[in-house]
Amino acid sequence: MAKHLTATDLSSVQRSVEQANGLPNAHYIDPQVFSEEAEAVLKCTWAGLAVGADVPNNGDAKPISFLGMPLLLLRDKDGDLRVFENICRHRGMQLVSEAQNIEGAIRCPYHSWCYSTKGKLVSTPHVGGAGQNTHPSIVKDDLGLNEVRSHLWRDVIFINITGDAPEFTEVHRDLIARWSEFDSPMYHGGHDSKFELELMANYKLAVENYCESYHLPWVHPGLNSYSRLEDHYHIQEPNKYSGQGTLVYKQLQGPDDAVFPDFRGLDEKWNTGAEYVAIYPNVLLGAQRDHCFSIVLQPNTLNSTTEHIHLYYAEPKTSEDMRSRNAHLWKTVFEEDIFVVEGMQKGRHSPLFDGGRFSPAMDGPTHNFHAWVAGKVQEHRDKQDA
Amino acid sequence: MSDLNDTILAAHARDDRRALVSLYTQAADQTNDINTVCFFLTYAYIYALELGHPDADALYARLDAHGRV
Repeated sequence: MAKHLTATDLSSVQRSVEQANGLPNAHYIDPQVFSEEAEAVLKCTWAGLAVGADVPNNGDAKPISFLGMPLLLLRDKDGDLRVFENICRHRGMQLVSEAQNIEGAIRCPYHSWCYSTKGKLVSTPHVGGAGQNTHPSIVKDDLGLNEVRSHLWRDVIFINITGDAPEFTEVHRDLIARWSEFDSPMYHGGHDSKFELELMANYKLAVENYCESYHLPWVHPGLNSYSRLEDHYHIQEPNKYSGQGTLVYKQLQGPDDAVFPDFRGLDEKWNTGAEYVAIYPNVLLGAQRDHCFSIVLQPNTLNSTTEHIHLYYAEPKTSEDMRSRNAHLWKTVFEEDIFVVEGMQKGRHSPLFDGGRFSPAMDGPTHNFHAWVAGKVQEHRDKQDA
Repeated sequence: MSDLNDTILAAHARDDRRALVSLYTQAADQTNDINTVCFFLTYAYIYALELGHPDADALYARLDAHGRV
């Protein structure tokens, strides 16, 4: 019996960029295909969930919905970041409904079972009857919160829902090495250095757009004066990541030509260089001499996405005015991308669209992502068939 | 006990968990029946545990003394 009643034909996606088509429409508009793809692409890999700056203090807890799954991001009492399923092991009640600081324990609002910030079940009131707080069949050590495998890199919290992906550091060894010069401390700019954008589009379209510089002169004419198309180069590592680099990065200047302080120990090439990389499946990163940013794409549904954007600096204290200007600048750029991403989403309802063709000269990084998605979906289908 | 009961209900109504720690402790202290004592102490302990209240350890010890944790 066929296991993939809705299986899309991905053979043309994995051809060379000269001959390839993009992913079929169904990957953007068909709930069943999106569901299959989510298993293969978002749950089996290391997907971005949030950033450490979302929970800056020990005990901070933030509920996050990821593909409909209720998760809880928590910085435990020792400062370690953890991700749990946001449900009580008793009746599956949602534990935390809004961001808060856990002063002592997480108390389920239903029957008051309590968990430590490390996820350990610490109390089961009345579980053995009134005033009897133990029962032989309820073994606390077996009933801690379900923890989701997570890894922190560049303050982004990546999660592997299925728990069986190779180590993050193995999967992304190349990129970690590529950006090893940026391993120095980075400081979130605070409340004025984060914002969210809502997209009525599949999250993949935001990745695809971010990967390539082809659109820059048309969609971001303001960048053309100091970051022209010909000053960019492609970044594309098959089955890994892709993006773009620039050779003419220009620092934001404040009063009296003030600039943000540089990250320490960078090679001279970063004086005018910067790189923008999509770390598959859903995190977009930027690295520059004086600040960096992360964009975590939260796939709410197959056609709605929230972009969570965070800006980081090399020093804990920087000019508030300049931070504000910098955030405004980036927000303007990212807002300029919304209409193309949403326009491509609308275009996916055209039945004769075949996934499109790529410019071999300009679209390599975008095709790299398509091919990765197709490969992951095929891998998933092969496992199902095995 | 009726006054205390009203005070406890009022604390619940305003979700004053810090007050509930001491109010349920008082309720436990006003009875000699061990089951009732532990019933009230359980409430006091759970709210103390949630809040990281300084009484949490002592309340745990009282419940532990009766084999209730």
